[in-house]
Amino acid sequence: MLLQLHNIFKWVQQGGQRVFLLKDINLQVEEGEFISIMGPSGSGKSTLLNVIGMLDGFDEGEYNFFDEPVHRLKEKHRTNLYKQYIGFVFQAYHLIDELTVYENLEMPLLYKKLKSSERKAMVADMLDRFNIVGKKDLFPSQLSGGQQQLVGVARALISKPKLILADEPTGNLNSQQGIEIMELFKELNEEGVTIIQVTHSENNAKYGKRIIKLLDGRKLN
Amino acid sequence: MLLKYALRNIKKRPVLNGIKIVGISLGLCGILFIALFIKNELSYDKQFLKAENSYRLTATSRAFLENNHFARFFAAQDLPVLTASIPEVEKFVRLAPIRGKLIKHEEQFYNIQQGFSVDATFFELFDIPLLQGNVKTVFQNANSVVVSKSLANNIFGSTNPIGKIISLPQGHFNSTKEDFQISGVMQDSKQESHLHPDILFMPGKDKIKGWAYQYLLLKENANPELVESKLSLALTNIFADDIATDKNVVNAHLMNISAIHLQSDLFREIEPNSTMTNIWVLVIAALILLLIALSNFASLNLGMAGYLSTFLTLNQILGSSKRFISSYFLIENTLIVLFSITITLLLMNPLNALFYESYQLNLLENNELFIVLIIAAVALLMIVAGLQPVLKQRFEKASLQKRLQKDSKTQVHKALLITQFSLAIVLLVMVVVISEQTNFAMDKALGAKENIVCLPLVHSEIQKDFSLFKSELLKESSITSVSAMMDTPGSETHDMFSYVLQDAPETEPGSNAIGVFAADYSFAEVFGLSFLGGKNFTHSNIDEPGNGEYLINESALHQLGYQNPQAIINKQFSLLSPVPGVTLPEGKIIGVVKDFHLSGLQNKVEPLVLFKRENSWLNSIVISYSATSKREALLSLNTIWSDLFPEYPIDYVEVNSIYKNVYKTELLQKRLILLFALISIFVCTMGVLGLALMITQSRYKEIGIRKVNGASRTEILTLLNRDFIKWLLVSFIVAVPLAYFAVNEWLEGFAYKITISPWMFLFSGALVILITLLAVSWQSYRAAIQNPVKSLRRE
Ligand SMILES: Nc1ncnc2c1ncn2[C@@H]1O[C@H](COP(=O)(O)OP(=O)(O)O)[C@@H](O)[C@H]1O
Ligand SMILES: [Mg+2]
Repeated sequence: MLLQLHNIFKWVQQGGQRVFLLKDINLQVEEGEFISIMGPSGSGKSTLLNVIGMLDGFDEGEYNFFDEPVHRLKEKHRTNLYKQYIGFVFQAYHLIDELTVYENLEMPLLYKKLKSSERKAMVADMLDRFNIVGKKDLFPSQLSGGQQQLVGVARALISKPKLILADEPTGNLNSQQGIEIMELFKELNEEGVTIIQVTHSENNAKYGKRIIKLLDGRKLN
Repeated sequence: MLLKYALRNIKKRPVLNGIKIVGISLGLCGILFIALFIKNELSYDKQFLKAENSYRLTATSRAFLENNHFARFFAAQDLPVLTASIPEVEKFVRLAPIRGKLIKHEEQFYNIQQGFSVDATFFELFDIPLLQGNVKTVFQNANSVVVSKSLANNIFGSTNPIGKIISLPQGHFNSTKEDFQISGVMQDSKQESHLHPDILFMPGKDKIKGWAYQYLLLKENANPELVESKLSLALTNIFADDIATDKNVVNAHLMNISAIHLQSDLFREIEPNSTMTNIWVLVIAALILLLIALSNFASLNLGMAGYLSTFLTLNQILGSSKRFISSYFLIENTLIVLFSITITLLLMNPLNALFYESYQLNLLENNELFIVLIIAAVALLMIVAGLQPVLKQRFEKASLQKRLQKDSKTQVHKALLITQFSLAIVLLVMVVVISEQTNFAMDKALGAKENIVCLPLVHSEIQKDFSLFKSELLKESSITSVSAMMDTPGSETHDMFSYVLQDAPETEPGSNAIGVFAADYSFAEVFGLSFLGGKNFTHSNIDEPGNGEYLINESALHQLGYQNPQAIINKQFSLLSPVPGVTLPEGKIIGVVKDFHLSGLQNKVEPLVLFKRENSWLNSIVISYSATSKREALLSLNTIWSDLFPEYPIDYVEVNSIYKNVYKTELLQKRLILLFALISIFVCTMGVLGLALMITQSRYKEIGIRKVNGASRTEILTLLNRDFIKWLLVSFIVAVPLAYFAVNEWLEGFAYKITISPWMFLFSGALVILITLLAVSWQSYRAAIQNPVKSLRRE
């Protein structure tokens, strides 16, 4: 089993009251799954994804990742864990404007303290795979949205994660570009990468083998 | 309308705008006070109506005192003859210092601070206002005397002093008691003067002889250089009996009285003077502070311009004119500067009060126009500096659309930042060097030893009873040793005698000379002199022919042609006294002491022979006491004094404070520059803090992305601090040669100086870097621990 959420609650204090963002979430994800999370805006999809990705904490419950109890880990350990296993893709791409495509791709490798020769090989590999070798010296602002998201996905993949978390990856793209990304995910999944994506689109959701519905922070099914 | 916007925008970012205001106010205050202080230094002696044409006359010759340049002249009696032949000289006045510190009125002694015997023309050159008496007539009669207001108050209280009799008591300096009648009361001298007499005696026409300060009043259009050469000729005529040779030619020197305070550094000045170097150091400090304040303001403005980008661009799209942006920034900057001026004005008076308390300087008085001008000038510079980069960099190139799109990334003007840091480092190096040098000087000076008091220039009656006084004092356990010496510590002693040394090559008798200093046999004990060889004076020794004992210092050892101290011990030695009727016994050199400083460190240690005297030439008494019992020691001193010498007021000073007075300017300079360095560094740090705040804010998203991609806190911190470290290192590299040049120049003025060493630069650089990094890291750390989810949601 890849990961397991047990009775996860997350809340914020607002005006002396607890506002629940996540309520009693239970979820098991096996390696190799492709899950789509759906739900209306504000239902807690991003919050859940962030909890899974360990970017955000939770207030109650248990979370095991590869049998490691995430809720008991120190920040540093947690960072190491997701550095090693997880790649993120965002709706807003979140590329760094001041860095070229090449440098954006290289960034996660820097934080994994890889040697320069290794980094070169891995970046070259990604550029090749996504057919963006010609764009490597361009800055994000010089790319179309679809191309930017390709770079975003490539960056998420570069450190060979076991799990990809994608928060509305096609939200800012036109349908043709969206389809390309989804095809890419499908391909990756077939290669064994676990994928959890948040989406609004029924069509995109169908790429997933399992669909989870959220409403007001609660899992419906 | 613009005003409203500007006020609103300023209020919206209180921290950053507060930093700007604090920076400008501190800079303004600092610059204002330096300017006022420098103005004050430059105004010395200008209050005298005829200052422009008043000159001090000094003379040098190899024939007298080895070309040493003294502020006074040894044959003042010749001045009337000397000047009679020179038509450009309108008037002259001679000031012969009163060497005793006591005057007498109705059987009661009083201390005076600075007294002179003067010519009747005194007030024609130095027009110190008279409170009582008429300028034309005060010195009409011989034996008239003018006292200062404070001295009059001290002696007579509220009774009218005019007509009262004051006398110079009989004593070491006067063979008989001499009476004077008070004919006038003068105001206390202004602080900005090279002399502050509290009493002026007029002994009668042409009674002044021997050593005196000589001042000439030249005619309106006289050329001082011409007069100088005429005087040189006339002097040479008087002193070179037959033919003028290289050796006996005399050079006259004229110096305008208003230049004395800053430019005169001769032996036996009336008071320790300041130097031009001090002024330059302060000018440099002020310029540095100004540049730092300017570039700080400019770089903060530049950084903050991003916040207003959208606001201004939108306005422009909606149809405002191009001038709108300039006007807006002009108004915003002016507002900021006005706030700062208000703060400066509020701070000004308390600061001045502080200055007045410590240095009796009222800098604000009568300087309203100057203050307004300085503030206006600095304010104008600030506004221009604040405006320039914003307009240049930000709004001239990019098209309107681009400006809206691009999210506002904080701009850092590297050149400005590097300038700031470099200057701060330079200033800090200056502080370090100046305080090291001052400490070094104070340590090295003879009296830097704690726990010694000096009774300067005691009356000859007391000198006679010195042995009794000494033995009474030594009965007290708190007092460790007592000695007497030829002059007060810290003063310049330049008496030179001829000598005869065994085995030395024969010279014409009387043609060689060496510095001499008379002391009581405990001298070395009181001052803790260390012996390189031989021993101290023997207590039981008496001055009789063949039995004389002489100590020499290291420099004298070398002058006498020896390297090894042991070799010179027990050589026959004698001094030839130039004073008629006084002979010094032939004897031996019995010890060699390490060089010690009697006067300031600006002068080199002269070769010196110490000889022991009893009952004469020992006009200053020095007493050392054990460190722990200062109170008892001083109490005993007071009791014993009033038992033995009830009619004389006791007057003693700590030797330390005498030296501190010698180093007055250096100490003041050290304080001021430390203050300005602190202000500069504070302003710099605030600026950097502001920049760091803006930079981290503008990089929030980037930090979030990096964290999501696996960056640890340390890596984020490094990322944010890296640029600053780079800039700081560049600044350090820029600062080192500048600072080296500056301090090297400054140290030139000292005969004994510290060696400039790398740690001074490293320390200053490290300190600035550390402070900056702390300021930056405070911001960076907050950004680094931020939950990335939050920063990414900010979209
Ligand atoms: N830190 C927070 N503080 C307060 N409210 C939050 C916080 N994080 C999320 N929310 C709120 O929780 C709800 C769920 O947010 P989110 O998970 O982003 O929804 P979704 O991604 O499904 O649109 C929203 O109403 C959001 O405003
Ligand atoms: Mg969302």
